[in-house]
Parts: sequence; structure tokens; C-alpha cells
Amino acid sequence: MIDVRELSHAFEIGKKEKKTVIPVLEGVSFSVEKGEIVTIVGRSGSGKSTLLNIISGFIKPKHGEVWIHGEKVSDYNEGKFADFRLANLGFIFQSFQLIPSMTAYQNVELPLILKGMPEKERQQKTEETLKRVGLIEYKDHYPSELSGGQQQRVSIARALVVNPPLILADEPTGSLDSETENELLQFIQELNRDLGITFLIITHDEKVAAIGHKTIEITDGRVMEGVLA
Amino acid sequence: MNVKDQFRFVRQNMKKNKTRLFMTILATAIGCTFLIVLASVGFGLHKSIIQDVMEDSLVTEVQVHGKEAGEGNFQGIKDEDIQHFQEITGVKAVTRRQSLQQSPIFKTEDYTAQSEAVSAYFPEEVKAGFELSEGRLPEKGNEVVVGSSFADGLSLEPKEGENAFNEDGTIKEELAYKGELVGKTIEMEVIKMEDGKEIKKSIPLTITGVTKKPSKEWMQIRTVFISEDIFKEVEAFTGTPGGNPEQIEGTPEDNGRIYDSVSLYAKDVEAVTGINDKLKEDNYMVYSIVNEMRQINMVFTILKIGLLFIGTIALIIASIGIYNTMTMAVTERAPDIGIMKAIGAHPKTIKRIFVLESSYIGLLGALFGTIVAYGISYAVNLALPLVLERVFEEAPPEGLMLSYIPWSLTLISVAICLTVTIFSGWRPAKRATQVDVLKAMRREV
Ligand SMILES: Nc1ncnc2c1ncn2[C@@H]1O[C@H](COP(=O)(O)OP(=O)(O)O)[C@@H](O)[C@H]1O
Ligand SMILES: [Mg+2]
Repeated sequence: MIDVRELSHAFEIGKKEKKTVIPVLEGVSFSVEKGEIVTIVGRSGSGKSTLLNIISGFIKPKHGEVWIHGEKVSDYNEGKFADFRLANLGFIFQSFQLIPSMTAYQNVELPLILKGMPEKERQQKTEETLKRVGLIEYKDHYPSELSGGQQQRVSIARALVVNPPLILADEPTGSLDSETENELLQFIQELNRDLGITFLIITHDEKVAAIGHKTIEITDGRVMEGVLA
Repeated sequence: MNVKDQFRFVRQNMKKNKTRLFMTILATAIGCTFLIVLASVGFGLHKSIIQDVMEDSLVTEVQVHGKEAGEGNFQGIKDEDIQHFQEITGVKAVTRRQSLQQSPIFKTEDYTAQSEAVSAYFPEEVKAGFELSEGRLPEKGNEVVVGSSFADGLSLEPKEGENAFNEDGTIKEELAYKGELVGKTIEMEVIKMEDGKEIKKSIPLTITGVTKKPSKEWMQIRTVFISEDIFKEVEAFTGTPGGNPEQIEGTPEDNGRIYDSVSLYAKDVEAVTGINDKLKEDNYMVYSIVNEMRQINMVFTILKIGLLFIGTIALIIASIGIYNTMTMAVTERAPDIGIMKAIGAHPKTIKRIFVLESSYIGLLGALFGTIVAYGISYAVNLALPLVLERVFEEAPPEGLMLSYIPWSLTLISVAICLTVTIFSGWRPAKRATQVDVLKAMRREV
């Protein structure tokens, strides 16, 4: 499903003379099979988010390749990557990233609008997905009128609504309390089991790491070999 | 993203800051109104002048005023020229008139009037569109047709020390002629000067017809159309060409008839230019409305373009407001844009939404601007005659239109307005596509 090959990245900060290069990833390679839940762990600042952002297409890597679904996405331009994301990837962010001026329903519907799905079909699909995450009665609530756990479920619904084969999550439980965290982890496992969705989850939380069929540890921008759950 | 959703999206976005949106639309509308009203003056004056020129003059007419005979010499139009004109392709009729070189006094019963007398060749006049309102064309030498306003000139002798005219120049009610004209006998009194003394001669004529009224209210035709026989009789009496009462020094020998009003009528408007050019080529001095029109049109086209250009500047100023509004909108919505991009919105989609939003502002501005412009134009046309009447204490020319908004002007203005607004929304929209997803999601924009 995902094939990361010899990925290296460094950030450049400062202007011209005062430029400093911060190496973040060095020769990272790993793969994720279809139907797997893979967790990536590592200390804060180890480069986990950078790795996921490269896979998501938000950052262009300096070296190396990323293959998803047999396509070399690391060569894609912005527009092509956007289309690819819309068609194949779902996202769960630590801070939910819901659009505050839109209701839960509208947030979930957004990817379908972007896809150009006709209204009837869209409505059916959106409601079905909101039911799945157990929030149908909250559909007209704005994000500010929902709890953190509910907001995260809206964001999961938004990721699920386009039936993506792969969902990428960066610290999905980072903003949740422990009880809500358990619920969410169960839900992720359920989705993986029932719908066969592949998950790539970044975390520094042991409990989250534990749901992975495979765990990859990143230290100082490198993959530590043999750390498998 | 389909079009309907894009519009819905744009409308939702626009509701987020209604005051700012309103002000921007207002500025655009004012710019658009200014553009249309300004240009409408050019269109209005053009229309008024064209109408003025066109009215009562046939567009198919080409007037010939003479022939250049080289070295600055000028020759009148003679029969051989008329012959030549009739052979030009596209010519339908060649009318020629000779005016009597004095204004005879016409008398019937106790009424008198002084009018010009003209000899015309009726077969060609009729072909050119000469019409009578009553009676028939003359058949005998002493029969005449009079102009539609001839009766207005007939008056009784006013009392001693009194004036025959009202303040506006018309003849006083009690002195005016109210009877029929057709069938009436009138005396034409011509004069000649001999040794400083005035000698009169009276010629009896019968009126057989009255010409049709011209479409312009104020145009008064009092001409008496006499036959060639009578014309010659007057010439014989005065012994001068054209019946001039006095022998003019240096008048050339009479070497044939000279017409002083000759017009060619083309079969259709398209033929006019050809006739016009052919005559010029043959050294005739010509005047035709169509030709005149070409120059008037050119001048006004330049004027209109100039006004449109000035008006566009107002819109460009308004577009700065749109630019500002859109830039602020992009900045405000950057987090949302980041999220949309993250979940897979194509940069083109983002751009389209923002361009659409600025076009929407432009469209609304153009719509309201146009409506207001029509209102102002209407009000100006309504108020202008009143103002002119106050200032000059005289009624302005009929059909005067200061402001006129034809469809083409509306279309041009809306097009300019949309172009300017889309153009000003372009850069902010491009900036929207460049929003960095990660920064936006970290609320760093
Ligand atoms: N946009 C950026 N510009 C410069 N340095 C960055 C940027 N993003 C991340 N970094 C640096 O890269 C390193 C890895 O960051 P990150 O991938 O966020 O780590 P993690 O998610 O594992 O905590 C950190 O040292 C961070 O300071
Ligand atoms: Mg991180």
C-alpha cells in the first residue's frame, strides 16, 4: 500500500548568509501493507510529523521516493497530489481541523462537494457516515458546539465519507482524554476490521502504538530496525 | 466541484462580512454608474445630432453645388451636366430647381404674402419623393403649387401704425388667411429697376396643389413652385438671368440655363457613396448626408471611446476596493483554505471560488450600477429641457437627448466592469492557492 524508499529531508531556515540546515529525516525506508494498522512512534522532534507530511504531499522531500497504491506520488505536482488525496487518502489530525463556520454535516459533506458528487447522493452518503460515527443527531452543530471527542469523530467521518483505502493520522488522540481515546482506538480497529481500511498512525502514546499490527520507531530521523509489535 | 456548489460556496463566504461586501459592491456600482452615465452623454449627443441631420433630409440625396472648372473657377450646373448625372449608375432621380432672383409679392383677395418662387422639374421631383397634401401637380404654364406653410404668410393689411405680427412672429389672428388655397387665383407681382425707378408687373396664377408638411414642426415651406414658362416670362420682363431686378455688373453672357439647386437621388443608401465619389471624381462640388454622417460618426466614436476610457478609470479605482476586500477575505479564510487543500481541494478549485467571488461582486456592482445609471439618464433627460428652458428662456430643440443608454453601451460597460473586477480578484485568488497547508493548519497565516 505504502512504500517509502530512502527518504531524506532537511529544513532550511533563515535567509541567505545566515541559512542553517536542519536535517530531519535520513534514509527512511519502510512499507505498509494493505489492511494493516501501522503505528510510528518516536520522541517529540524526531521527525514523525515531517514523515507523514511528506507522505501526505504537504512537504516535498529532498531525496527519496514515496509510492502509494503503486504510484510514485513523490513526483506529483500540487494539483495532482490534491486529486490523489481526494480520491485515496483520509486524514485525522491532532487538532481536528474542522472548518469552524460549517456545521458537522457540512464539514463531512465537503470532500464529496469537492468531488462533484450530485446533491442527493451526497446527502445520503453524509448522513450514513455521520450515523456510523454516532453523530447524526449533532449534524447541525458547529464544531464549537461539540466536545473534543465529538469533533474528532466528525473529522473521522470527513475522512471516511469518500471511502478511502488509506487513512493517515498524526497524533489522533493527542487532544483527547483517556476514555475518549479508548473509544477512538476501538473505532479505528473496527474500521480496519470491517472495512479493511489501512491506517498509518503517528503517536508518542504507548496505548495508541499498541493497536498497530506493526510499529516503526523513529529516532533522530532514522528508522530503528526490528522494532515490531 | 460542480458549478452549483461553487456558487453556493461563494454566497456562503460572502455572507461572512456583509458590511465590507456591501461597501465593495457600492464602490463598484458607483464606478459602473459613472461609466455608463458619462458615456451615455456621448451616445445621447450623437443620437440627437444624427436625428437632427437625418430628419427631413433623405439619406439617399446627394446635393451638387457646382463644378470646378479649374484654376479656382466655378461653374453652375447646366442641362448637359444633368444629362450626365442621369447616366450615373445607381441614380434614381435628378431634381433641379431655379430660384427666382427676387421674392415676388403674392396677392389673393386682400391678402398678401412675400415668398420665394422656384421653378422645378416635377417628373423628377416626384421620383425623388415630392408629395402634395392636397390638389394636383401643375399642368399649364400659369398653374402653381405652393408650400405647406404658404397660407401662414398671407395676411391682410394691418391698420395704420399697427404691426401685423404677434410676438412669436406669427400673423395676428384677425389678419390671418383661413380659407382654401387650391383653385384660388393669385397675382404674382415682380419688379425690375430701370433708371433707379421700380417697375412692377403682375402675373396671374392658379394654385393647383399644396405640398406635404415636413415632419419637423418648425420647418416652414412657403415656396411657390412656378412653371418654367412663368420663370422665363419674369426673365424676359427684367431682362436679367434668373429674373434679377437689377443688372449685375460682370454677369456672364447667358449661355444656357443654370440651375441653382440640383440633387441626385440614389436608388438606395448603399449607392450613395459610389455616386458621391463619382461626382467628386468628375470635379463636382457635392454634399451628402451619408458622407457627412461618416465624419460625424467618426468624431463621435472617438468621443465615446474617450468617455468610456475616463469612465473606466472610475471602475479601476473601485477595483482597488475589490482587490483589498478579496485580499482580506483570503487572509481571513486561509485556515479554511488550508484545510480544504489538505483534504484534496485542487488549487484550481480554490482559485475559481475566489475569482467567482470577485466576479460576483463585479456582477452585482454592474447590475445595481446599471439600474441607477438608467435612472439618472432618465432623470437627466427629463430635467434637462426644463433647465435649458429656464436658462435660455427658449424651448430646447425637440428630441434633444443629453443621455442615451443603448444596449450596446450597457453590454460594453458590464463587460468592462466584469473584466476589471475579475482582473483585480485574480491576484488575491492566486494568493489563496499558495496558502501553505501546514502553516494554515497551525494557524500561522
Ligand atoms: N517547517 C519547519 N521548518 C523548520 N524546521 C522544522 C519545520 N517543521 C519541523 N521542523 C523541525 O523538524 C524536526 C522534526 O519535527 P517533527 O517532524 O514535527 O517532529 P515530531 O512530529 O516527531 O515531533 C524538529 O526539530 C522541528 O523543529
Ligand atoms: Mg508531530
